[in-house]
Amino acid sequence: MTMNLLADVVAPAPLVIDGLLVGALLFALGLVGILARRNLIVMFLCAELMLQGISVSLVSWSRHHGDWGGHVLVIFVLTVAACEAAIALVFVLQAFARTGRLDAAAWQSLRESNLPRTIDRELPSIDTVPPKFPKLAPAGVEPPADEDALLEREHV
Amino acid sequence: MIASILPSISPGTLLAGGVTAAAASLWLLLPRGRSAAADRASRWLGGLVGLAALAAFIATGHRLGNLGTEAVFLTVALVAVISGAATVVSRSPVYAAIWFALALAGVAGVLLVLGGQFLGVATIVVYAGAILVMFLFVLMLAQPAGLAPYDRVSNEPLLAAVAGAVLLGVLSLSIGRLTAEPPACCLMPGTKAALLAGSTAAAETPGAATAGVDMLADNHVARLGGELFGRHLLAVEAAGVLLLVALIGSIAIVSRGAADAESVARRAAR
Repeated sequence: MTMNLLADVVAPAPLVIDGLLVGALLFALGLVGILARRNLIVMFLCAELMLQGISVSLVSWSRHHGDWGGHVLVIFVLTVAACEAAIALVFVLQAFARTGRLDAAAWQSLRESNLPRTIDRELPSIDTVPPKFPKLAPAGVEPPADEDALLEREHV
Repeated sequence: MIASILPSISPGTLLAGGVTAAAASLWLLLPRGRSAAADRASRWLGGLVGLAALAAFIATGHRLGNLGTEAVFLTVALVAVISGAATVVSRSPVYAAIWFALALAGVAGVLLVLGGQFLGVATIVVYAGAILVMFLFVLMLAQPAGLAPYDRVSNEPLLAAVAGAVLLGVLSLSIGRLTAEPPACCLMPGTKAALLAGSTAAAETPGAATAGVDMLADNHVARLGGELFGRHLLAVEAAGVLLLVALIGSIAIVSRGAADAESVARRAAR
C-alpha cells in the first residue's frame, strides 16, 4: 500500500511530461476542429485526432507507472475507433444520400427550439483562373472511327 | 532549453503565451468565408503566429538528457502537431485526410519514442492502412466537385478557438503541476521523509518510477500479448463481439437505407 502511494506521487520523467503535452495539444486541436468545421467527414477526422491525443497520453502514463494497462487500453481504443468509423461513415453516406451534401448544418432542424437558425451568407467567389495549357497542333491521319465505340453510351 | 537562456520569462508566462498564440493562430487559419486575397493573408499571419506558439511550447519542454532522443522526439512531435493543425484547418476534405495520415505517422513516432513499439506499428497499420482508406472511399463517393461552400466557412471559429485554448490551458497547467513537489496538505506526515528519499532517488536515476517493470526490455510484444490475453481476456472477447456487431450493424443500416430509398421512389412514381 505504501509502495503504491509512493509510486503515485513521484514526479514523472521529463519524457512523460512532454508526451502528455503532445497528447493535450492533439486533443485540443481535435476539439477545435469538431466545434468549428462543418464538413461531416472532417468532423470525424477531428474526432480521430482527439483519440490519437488520448492514445499518446495513455502510453505516457503507462510508461510512468510501469504498467501495461495503458497499452492495452490503446489497443481497445483502436478497436472501438474502427467500429465507430465503420458505423459513422455509413451514417454519413445515408445523410449524403438524403441531402446531397456533407454539411452538418443541413440537419439543423434537429437543433433545440430556442437556438437561432444557421443562415449562410453569400460567399465571395474564388476567382480562380483556369490554367492555360499549351495546345498541340493536330498532326497525322485521323484513325477510322470504331463502330462499336460509337454505339456505346457513357452514361445510362 | 530557451528558458535557460531567457531566465526572465517564467515557464508559466511562456505557456500562457503559447496557448494564447495557438488559439489566435487557429482562429486566423480556420476558413471564415472571406475573399481569396484576405484568406491568403490571414493564413500567412496564422502560420507565423502558430510557429511562435510552437516555439513557446518547445521552450517549456524539458531536457530529456539524451540529445538523440531529444531530437527524435522533437521531430516526431512537431510532425504530429503541425499535421494535426493542418487537418483541422484544411479547406478541402481530401487534403485534410492526407494531413491526418501524416499526423498518424507523427503519433506513431511519438508512441515509439515513449516505448510502445507494438502500438506505433499498429497505429500505422490499422489507422493509416484501414480506417483512413475507408474515409477516402467515402470522400470519393460523397464529395461534390470543387470546393463546397460549407468547407469555406466555420461554425463560430472564434468561440471554438477560445474553447480549445481554455482546455489546453487547463491541461498544460495540470501537467506542469506534476513536476512540482506535491503539496504538503495531501501527504501523510509519516511518509514525507520516505517520499523525499524516493523523489531524490527518482531524480538521480530517471525512470526509477518504472523500476517494477522495465517496459523497454526485449520480448515487448510477447509480454504485451501475455497481459492482453491474461488479465484482459474477457475484454478481448467483448471487443471481438463489438467488431462483429458493428459489421452487421453497418451492413443492416446500408441495406435498410437502400430499401427505404426504393420505397420512396415507388411512392413518388405512383
